[in-house]
Amino acid sequence: MSQNTDLLTLRSVSKSYGTVPVLHDIDLSIRDGEFLTVLGPSGSGKTTVLRLIGGLEPLTAGEIRLDGQDISRMPINKRPFNTVFQDYALFPHMTVSGNVGYGLSVRHIKRKEIARRVAEALELVQLGRFAERFPAQLSGGQRQRVALARALICQPRLILLDEPLAALDLELRRQMQEFLKSIQREIKTTFLFVTHDQEEAIGMADRICVMQAGHIRQLGTPHELYYKPNCEFVARFFGENNLVAGKLGPVQGEQRPIETALGRLVCSISDQPHLKTAPDGASAFAAFRPEALRLADANDGDNRFSGTIADLAFAGSSTVATIMAGADNAAQRLRLRMPSRIDGSILKSGETVSLSFAPHEGHLVLA
Amino acid sequence: MSTLPRPSTIFLAAITTLVAVLLYSPLFVPIVSSFFIISHGNVDWSSPTLSTYVALAGNHDILAALRTTLVVGVCTVILSVVSGTLLALYYHGRHSGRSILQFIIFLPFLMPPIISGLALLIFFREIGLERSLLTVVIGHTVFVLAIVYRTVLMRLQSMSRTLVEASYDLGANGWQTFWRIILPNLSSAMVGGAILAFALSFDETMITILVTGTQSTLPVRLWAMMRLGFSPDINALVALILMFTVLLCVLAARFLIPRQMATERN
Repeated sequence: MSQNTDLLTLRSVSKSYGTVPVLHDIDLSIRDGEFLTVLGPSGSGKTTVLRLIGGLEPLTAGEIRLDGQDISRMPINKRPFNTVFQDYALFPHMTVSGNVGYGLSVRHIKRKEIARRVAEALELVQLGRFAERFPAQLSGGQRQRVALARALICQPRLILLDEPLAALDLELRRQMQEFLKSIQREIKTTFLFVTHDQEEAIGMADRICVMQAGHIRQLGTPHELYYKPNCEFVARFFGENNLVAGKLGPVQGEQRPIETALGRLVCSISDQPHLKTAPDGASAFAAFRPEALRLADANDGDNRFSGTIADLAFAGSSTVATIMAGADNAAQRLRLRMPSRIDGSILKSGETVSLSFAPHEGHLVLA
Repeated sequence: MSTLPRPSTIFLAAITTLVAVLLYSPLFVPIVSSFFIISHGNVDWSSPTLSTYVALAGNHDILAALRTTLVVGVCTVILSVVSGTLLALYYHGRHSGRSILQFIIFLPFLMPPIISGLALLIFFREIGLERSLLTVVIGHTVFVLAIVYRTVLMRLQSMSRTLVEASYDLGANGWQTFWRIILPNLSSAMVGGAILAFALSFDETMITILVTGTQSTLPVRLWAMMRLGFSPDINALVALILMFTVLLCVLAARFLIPRQMATERN
């Protein structure tokens, strides 16, 4: 299971419902054995991508290749993929073992073999004791695990998960995230996980594909998306961020300045060739994370500006300050996050302070 | 209710009781009086007896009518459940022509029974079909079809679409999906619809009178008996039919409550 070979490739895939387009010319490669998360707000087309791959909907244009073979027209029940549905879709008239064994029994596998593999799968999801229960007698988290066991028992090449944690409460959702990740490592199967929750995506994915309005905006590791967003949408959608609008200045090696309301800000452009080639004067944003922003000290030359603390919010391990900066310290709202201390914040509401961020912690996105 | 002032609550309770008594007390009169003997047109309240029921059991006309009713009921149930389910499945999967189909299925149920009966009678004469139990069964099926259809369709619409998708996704073909997923999930609705259909067929009078041949069903028999004046066996018969119908309705309700709710309640 090398992560470098492509398992599934979408080429120029489009989908419309009637005259309403929902996916525009999508290209996406899923690597064998990876945990790929498709992340996007509702209406971004993320669930449609999953349904097209699963065969639940026909393509409008383009093709889907599995190991290089076109499977665009392969019927759903012949595709070696299984889905965990958002509402779990457990069969209410069957017991847990009936549900889990369904995929094997429709393939006319011998009863003994089915019983053995069902027991194995239930063991894997830690539901051995519940084999004879009906879905209505299980909790949300247990149903979810039954759905997972039912999907993986047929040993699919790819498991498709459609927001499977959305219906669970926060604590259970955290547990299930770890659980899913550990199962994925254990069975070494490729997972395609659809969600609108960026925290969920960061926690589980090897790679994340961010979608918006039927387009893929960026595909990369959580780290890449967090620190090198390639567009305003990703920069704003993925984690908290400070975006300051301005005009690009001339390239200075691996850095580039941008003229903003906060003055001239210097940001890193390493590994982002499109920012090297963008013309001078082009509209862009300086992007820096709340945890990169800090009180300036005497050594700071670049990226220094003043701001007034409008609000301080204690959030447990960290404290978040809302800061107004720019003209008259009112034009630009920024956030600053610092570790909380037991003897109270060193910042005071209403105070005007000098702020800064290191050039290598700032990035640029084109407007 | 606790928000209402006390006098209004009492007033509402009184109205409710009055309506209930007015509506339902007539139903109890024949049941009670079936246990007493009627002589010279007056009920003799002094000595309760089961003699009317004994007389009923010895009445061969009634027993023959009962047998006819059961035969008609069973045939009607089979025909209406099969065709009602097929129609519901067809309707559920279709996007055009839905409302017309729906309208046609509901028409015989909504029309006055005498109109449906006459229409059927004329139709049978035109195609040269002799009036018999067959025509009665056809008449009843046309009448009760809407109930079975509606019951099954509602279950079908409340069934999550992802159940069918999950079945295909797990490798099942259309045939397996139908027999192992769709049908088992419809079965309680089909049983509930069947019981309602049987109760309707059991009570149906108007259409039956028009399209039957020489044999009569229980309600038709009852109708004929009443023309000769009230007799104690009529009270007994009404009491029995009433109890049987109530029993059927309770049974039907049991099957039509969604399974999940029933399990969660336990």
